[in-house]
Amino acid sequence: MPFDRRLILCVNWPLLGLTALLFGVGVLNLYSASGFRMGDELSLQPFYNKQLIWGLAGLFCLLAMVVFDYKYLATIAWPLMIVMTVMLVLVLIFGKTVSGARRWLPIGGYSFQPSEIAKIAMLLLAAKILSKRSERLGWLDLAGILVVSLPVAGLIIVEPDLGTGLNVLLLVAGLILYRGLTGPVFKTLAVAGPILIPCGWFFLKPYQKGRILTLFDPQRDPLGAGYHIIQSQIAIGSGQMWGKGFLEGTQSQLRYLPEKHTDFAVAVFAEEWGFIGGIVLLTLFCLFLLQFYSTAKNAKDRFGSYLAAGVFFYFFWQILINMGMVLGIMPVVGIPLPFISYGGSATFVNFTLVGIVVNVSMRRYLFKKN
Amino acid sequence: MRLESDSPQQHAPRSGLILLQALVLGLFCLFTLRLWYLQVHKGSKFSEMSRDNQLRQVLIGSARGRIVDANGLPLALSEPSFALGLVREDCEDVDATLTKVSEWTGVDKHVLTETFKRGKKRVKPFEPLILSTDLPFEALARIEANAMLYPGLEIVIRQKRYYPTGELMSHVLGYVAEANEDELEKNPQLSLGDSVGKQGLELTLENELRGSKGRKQVEVDAFGRQHNEAILEPPQAGKDIKLSIDANLQRESAKLLEGQAGAIVVMEPDTGKLLAMVSQPSFDNNMFVLGVPADKWRELRDNPRHPIQNRVTQGVYPPGSVFKLLMAAAGLSEGLIRPGDVVACPGTYRVGNRDFHDWKKGGHGALDLRGALVHSCDIYFYKLGDRMGIDRLHDYATASGFGARTGIDLPHEKAGLIPSKEWKRKRFGAAWSKGETVIASIGQGYVLTSPLQIARYLSALVNGGRLMKPELVQTEAPRLDATLPVKDTDRQIILDAMVTTVEQGTGKSLLRSDVVTGAKTGTAQVVKLINADVRQKTAQMPYEQRDHAWVASWGRKDGKTYVVVCLVEHGGHGGEVSGPIVRKIFEQLFGSAPARSAKSAAAAPAPTPATDPADVGD
Repeated sequence: MPFDRRLILCVNWPLLGLTALLFGVGVLNLYSASGFRMGDELSLQPFYNKQLIWGLAGLFCLLAMVVFDYKYLATIAWPLMIVMTVMLVLVLIFGKTVSGARRWLPIGGYSFQPSEIAKIAMLLLAAKILSKRSERLGWLDLAGILVVSLPVAGLIIVEPDLGTGLNVLLLVAGLILYRGLTGPVFKTLAVAGPILIPCGWFFLKPYQKGRILTLFDPQRDPLGAGYHIIQSQIAIGSGQMWGKGFLEGTQSQLRYLPEKHTDFAVAVFAEEWGFIGGIVLLTLFCLFLLQFYSTAKNAKDRFGSYLAAGVFFYFFWQILINMGMVLGIMPVVGIPLPFISYGGSATFVNFTLVGIVVNVSMRRYLFKKN
Repeated sequence: MRLESDSPQQHAPRSGLILLQALVLGLFCLFTLRLWYLQVHKGSKFSEMSRDNQLRQVLIGSARGRIVDANGLPLALSEPSFALGLVREDCEDVDATLTKVSEWTGVDKHVLTETFKRGKKRVKPFEPLILSTDLPFEALARIEANAMLYPGLEIVIRQKRYYPTGELMSHVLGYVAEANEDELEKNPQLSLGDSVGKQGLELTLENELRGSKGRKQVEVDAFGRQHNEAILEPPQAGKDIKLSIDANLQRESAKLLEGQAGAIVVMEPDTGKLLAMVSQPSFDNNMFVLGVPADKWRELRDNPRHPIQNRVTQGVYPPGSVFKLLMAAAGLSEGLIRPGDVVACPGTYRVGNRDFHDWKKGGHGALDLRGALVHSCDIYFYKLGDRMGIDRLHDYATASGFGARTGIDLPHEKAGLIPSKEWKRKRFGAAWSKGETVIASIGQGYVLTSPLQIARYLSALVNGGRLMKPELVQTEAPRLDATLPVKDTDRQIILDAMVTTVEQGTGKSLLRSDVVTGAKTGTAQVVKLINADVRQKTAQMPYEQRDHAWVASWGRKDGKTYVVVCLVEHGGHGGEVSGPIVRKIFEQLFGSAPARSAKSAAAAPAPTPATDPADVGD
């Protein structure tokens, strides 16, 4: 594979910088979030250093995604998707059950979640399929993409892993909206959507319905479903303008805040850094997303543009759903906040996807060579 | 190169790019608004909620004050004891745990379940609910070894009241025991398992002894575990209290009554301070501290000699001839008699169609007041009472502190009784009869007094007429309650007569050369026996029909004066039974009598009349 030295000059430093910043904030926050008080001491659980190790490993994933021309990703999209679909089926049969969900496939001595790789496969495949269309999508195109993505999302949702399944679906939906729909299709969906979505209510499990109801009235079950929402809002709200200070978050250290190092990690941040810190973090996320926007805008080809847009949506939805949940304006769904929530495989995937976009963005000027 | 990227040959859909920008903008605005709402707009409210979440106020127990005797000897102490508590929040299986606890401590499972249920209402889930108190060491070791298997169990160190003197001071000190529902309801400072005074000084001085609990603020996590704590208000230890009681004197006095039922009061007449307050039989108040077992309680309650009763303040008895002291004062004060007036005592006195006898067959002949007191002539006082009338007698006795509580700092004191016409009408719906006045005037019939009232009255006679509040606490200032309605000269006549009683009369057993002693004995009839002729010797009578033996006395030496009152319930003759007891108490107070006088006292241990089986009216 020829590697042009000029590529170095075109590396998207702002994106890398923002990624590093967000990751740094995440590790710092985990350092605090992993602490809880025993007596007068603050005892730290080793979440933050594990996350640091995964981040460094993620950096290798990122670099690995940069060294080759991203066009090869289009060629492996289909094979990867097929392999992952088979694995998703296998996981349902042979998977390891951890706390009620069959998500892990034991390979050798390790367990791994096929759904994580399936997300990447879905991104590549959706970008590949959509990039073949130069026009807005009609009924047939829509059907085609849904035929591929729905079964994958379905397999993940039945594991059950609603969060990841939803992530896959939303990523595809985002890309479809990015490409745009033809007038009639858009109009039909615009009308049908609001009618169909309430029907989805009947497919939800009772605890999921509870989470949605709780959103509107956290006090209906203050020690159950409402507990997370109430305690999370207390944590964030009590941060007030300037926050309680680093390592001073009482809500988190005294364990009132549930899932404080995973799904609710940003609440710890908002408690300790206040409104100012929250705005800074939000700004970092927005600038981060805008990097994908500009990469999508300036990519040398449609595949690259769709890849960048897909990654945009991948992160966008997670930020929206996670922060929406933590801030009490969306139902509780187990979706982590990129770089802020603790999690090994999520960190790998996040860095990998950033790597893909860096790849796209650094090769935007090189189309003449192809 | 710039040009190329801006070329019209863009690969990104325009609408898509606008969508992405709009989404980023929307995301920013949405969350900025929400963060502002939560952190700035509602920030202070959530801040308060977070504080409420984590900070709790917990009470800190205060050490109960000690009680010591006049010489600083400890009478009531608090010592550490170990209790077993259960933190509900940490307990996985309450039933299994209680079964195990029952096995370890030997407490019935039923009782434990009941305790647990009661405690649930009061004890917060993160605080130990006390299941069993005062664990013996073996149980403690067994629990410590197995506690790991039963999470939630906790050994709690608490204060336990201990009375080193046991039954010697039970009636004075009373006891503490676990607060009941009522007490917990009344005092919000009390928590379940706290001890409160239930009887005696422990009850009346509860507020001083208890001190006040402190408050601390603890930081509590979501599991209720306590972390940082800050003392908001330190606990105030209870006051130590020094009694006027001399434990030594108390012990010697109690020995003198051993095996008997009765009471001894030693009072300092000038101040009303009590140096000894003995009531026999007694009980061990330590038994009550941890809850007295049902069978022991039944035994105490059903004991015919009522060991729980404090005879000094709660025992009321006909004072018998001791009452003649008051009658003499009344007669003089009301102008009904003069000291020199001589009254004939023919042995009987007729009121209406009934004859009232003197205790001495044939009477005493002619007597003045001194003679009447020294020889305890009944007829003299029959006549005096008859002239006075019951209502005047009642008013005078009441003004002298009888028929009302003395106000001593002990609970459930009895007022005794001085009858009146109105009282009888209300009580029995019957008219007063003159004969009843006659009986009342020698301290029989309806008249009831407590040994403490007698001691207080006698103290007032001795100290110049000041009726003092009987005081148990050394540091309390003496309190004057009333002044006796008696002139000093009249008082002196009575006191002189009392000295003569010791020298020549029924109080001979008290005589010693180095102490000025005055006494009045009394032998109070328990059963109404109109005809003195049928009276038997004490030893031949059934116990519960035997007379009460009184001695009310005072002694003065080297400027120190003490009043000693002794009552032996169903003891028989006053001078004969209580006299030697009082003599020994004075020996404690003033030291042994010089040999000469001791010899003479030994030669005449009992006055001559006492040998006469008919000497009942003295």
